[in-house]
Amino acid sequence: MTLTRPNETSNKPANGVVLSARNVTVEYGGERPTRAVRNVSLDLRRGEVLGIAGESGCGKSTLAFALTRLLRPPATMIQGSVFFHGLDGSDPVDILGLDAVSLRHFRWDKISMVFQSAMNSLNPVTSLRRQFSDIFEAHVPEMSSDERDERSRSLLEMVGIDPKRLKGYPHELSGGMRQRVGIAMALALNPEIVVMDEPTTALDVVVQRDILDEINGLRKELGFSIIFITHDLPMLVEISDRLIVMYAGEIVERAPSEWVGQSPAHPYTLALQDSCPDLLGERKELRGIAGVPPDLRERIEGCSFRPRCPYAFGPCATVHPELIPPFAVPVEFTTVRDMSATVSVEEKSSLRQSPVITPTAGDWRVACHLHARELNPEGPPHELAGATRSGSGATTSQESGYNLASPPGSAGEGQ
Amino acid sequence: MSVLEVRQLTVDFAQRRGPKFRAVDEVSFELYAGETLALVGESGSGKSTIARAVSSLIRPSSGEILLNGKRAGTRGRRLREYRRAVQMVFQDPFASLNPAFSVGHHLRRPLQIYGHPREDLDIAVEGLLESVSLVPPTLMASKLPHELSGGQRQRVAIARALAPQPQIILADEPVSMLDVSIRLEILNLLDGLKRERDLALLYITHDLATARHFSTHIMVMYRGEIVERGLADDVILNPSHPYTQLLAGSAAGAIRSGRRQVTAPVERQAKKSNIALAELSETVSATGCRFRARCPHAMEICAERPVELSVGDPGHTAKCWLFDPKFRAKSTTTR
Ligand SMILES: Nc1ncnc2c1ncn2[C@@H]1O[C@H](COP(=O)(O)OP(=O)(O)OP(=O)(O)O)[C@@H](O)[C@H]1O
Ligand SMILES: Nc1ncnc2c1ncn2[C@@H]1O[C@H](COP(=O)(O)OP(=O)(O)OP(=O)(O)O)[C@@H](O)[C@H]1O
Ligand code: SF4
Ligand code: SF4
Ligand SMILES: [Mg+2]
Ligand SMILES: [Mg+2]
Repeated sequence: MTLTRPNETSNKPANGVVLSARNVTVEYGGERPTRAVRNVSLDLRRGEVLGIAGESGCGKSTLAFALTRLLRPPATMIQGSVFFHGLDGSDPVDILGLDAVSLRHFRWDKISMVFQSAMNSLNPVTSLRRQFSDIFEAHVPEMSSDERDERSRSLLEMVGIDPKRLKGYPHELSGGMRQRVGIAMALALNPEIVVMDEPTTALDVVVQRDILDEINGLRKELGFSIIFITHDLPMLVEISDRLIVMYAGEIVERAPSEWVGQSPAHPYTLALQDSCPDLLGERKELRGIAGVPPDLRERIEGCSFRPRCPYAFGPCATVHPELIPPFAVPVEFTTVRDMSATVSVEEKSSLRQSPVITPTAGDWRVACHLHARELNPEGPPHELAGATRSGSGATTSQESGYNLASPPGSAGEGQ
Repeated sequence: MSVLEVRQLTVDFAQRRGPKFRAVDEVSFELYAGETLALVGESGSGKSTIARAVSSLIRPSSGEILLNGKRAGTRGRRLREYRRAVQMVFQDPFASLNPAFSVGHHLRRPLQIYGHPREDLDIAVEGLLESVSLVPPTLMASKLPHELSGGQRQRVAIARALAPQPQIILADEPVSMLDVSIRLEILNLLDGLKRERDLALLYITHDLATARHFSTHIMVMYRGEIVERGLADDVILNPSHPYTQLLAGSAAGAIRSGRRQVTAPVERQAKKSNIALAELSETVSATGCRFRARCPHAMEICAERPVELSVGDPGHTAKCWLFDPKFRAKSTTTR
């Protein structure tokens, strides 16, 4: 596998970053290869929840597999790098360069993953006790059988399952319970990074919240980071510190979550938000986003969202939009505020080591020409962030939006 | 008259040690042609077990199921007839299709089993594919499951359920693994088919928003029991059982519109005990209200098992002592 490595010194992630990916591109081979992830760069900060949202098929799982080196043929990473920056202060680990033995230790221990199909990925003929024990035996051979059982029971309890069920089999559990077992297993070895691909699709909101709270509590205590993948944008806005919206294999928006929830900058993010049925709103006919995502086997000219975008204009057909800061950040967003409701800034600073970097206006990037001053001097319409908000007195200049110092770590994170 | 009536359905599972585990406890409901009944509730509360019992995949411990007013057959021709009339769509569109067989094969089989004439099987398959908008049908029939997206696979699963021309479809979380856009497409498809074919639909979900928008009535399940039921809007806009309040107050939509503030104290009190107690008090022989350990309004009487009581709106009931006039006075002070 040949990999073109971008100049790493210029893209060096800052302190407080635990995983950094640069220009990751993945293809599923075939007569006409599917380019499922396109030039994605991201930094995962220590202790944060980084959300990834987007429609089915936009490459979320493929990206997660690339980051954890779980890609299987016909998938190949044709470009890019992924580095892990451990807590012990040792040199960054080139995940793509690990040999088979190191990789095995690395998984579960440092990075664990809850798979999208966790519900059906448990072995049906093996008891839960055996499946937990297998993980411990492989990674912590010194653990006694009693200690293993003890730990397994407390993990089950943490996800709201009666520890007595440890001796039971997956088929005796409901769909949501199996999904919770998948989460418990991923947390078994206190990894530094947990990648969760649609971990709560089978759970009711109350159990979902309890588990997310529980995970959040652990995160506070242990300081691990989470990459959380889901279709559910409103939920993601609530639980993540920063989020990434993907479309057709690319990042189209990256921002502090709370702000995206209030005022998305990319037309696709807005469409995604609007297509979520509202619990208490009028009963009306509900429709998703009109049109379908592009065929990822084709070359994409200009903006990949153009055929479905109600705002498309001149340059969208030919010029590919790069990630840029939004036209202007609404003034109410420019004050630094801690995003994750349950963790205060002070608490975060006491995490294992380096403080968590609070998301700021400088973290916001959007790939849409509406935000490019050269192409659209007027700025985007009012429903998209960055609109000059006349009347409300909140008119903000570009300067007031970004003269906040960009936090370290946002510098090389994919333009 | 209802198409399907379920009376006092109870399902027990044997446990390796100890007493049997009662997953569904005396649950009754009716399904009507052209209407959707949503079943929502806690993970592990018994929703799928109800669906499996009603589709005769598992045998209930007691209870009665009436199809068009007649007792459902339990063997032979009458069982076959019942199974034809009641079809199921499952949650995982990836696991429910056999990767080795084409879409056409998946649809031809149920047609054959239920005696469709051999000559026009292909025409029938094409008709089914068209009815779920998988076009062009001849091309789609030749595809293998892995060549389809999640939404397309779920369309195949729906077409397969339609093949025996059922009267009833039990859809167990048919869209929870799909993205929002596709989710609405599939629900609109089911809704349209329901109207066109006058189907009775049981929609099992944990998504309150789609439960409300796509169904006439909603039932809320907690630990094997239906704790609240009523018209969809009544249950969602005026949740009455403390569990339903917790559920409705935890949904993202409710939080956005400030509903969360209202129920927040309820939830906080309940919170501490949630996880620890989530399953522990599961034993079903337990007397009294099952929500008692988590309920901020629990009273002395709650040690007795509550009965179904009207909450005010017509047909809207909750299994909770708060709605018994005798205890209501006390409760208003706690609320
Ligand atoms: N094994 C495979 N062979 C060929 N193409 C594949 C394979 N797996 C995925 N793809 C394609 O890669 C693209 C991205 O798929 P991926 O599973 O990463 O999307 P996703 O965002 O996780 O979607 P979902 O929300 O449905 O899980 C899709 O177009 C998909 O069809
Ligand atoms: N074969 C079985 N043996 C023993 N217990 C079982 C069996 N099948 C289900 N159960 C138990 O019955 C209860 C109800 O399960 P069910 O699958 O009906 O829940 P559910 O409401 O569908 O939950 P979810 O929303 O998580 O899918 C659970 O506690 C489950 O563990
Ligand atoms: S670049 Fe153009 S087509 Fe693309 S999202 Fe922006 S306005 Fe729409
Ligand atoms: S019966 Fe009592 S414990 Fe049960 S929900 Fe009602 S008030 Fe709470
Ligand atoms: Mg995926
Ligand atoms: Mg279920």
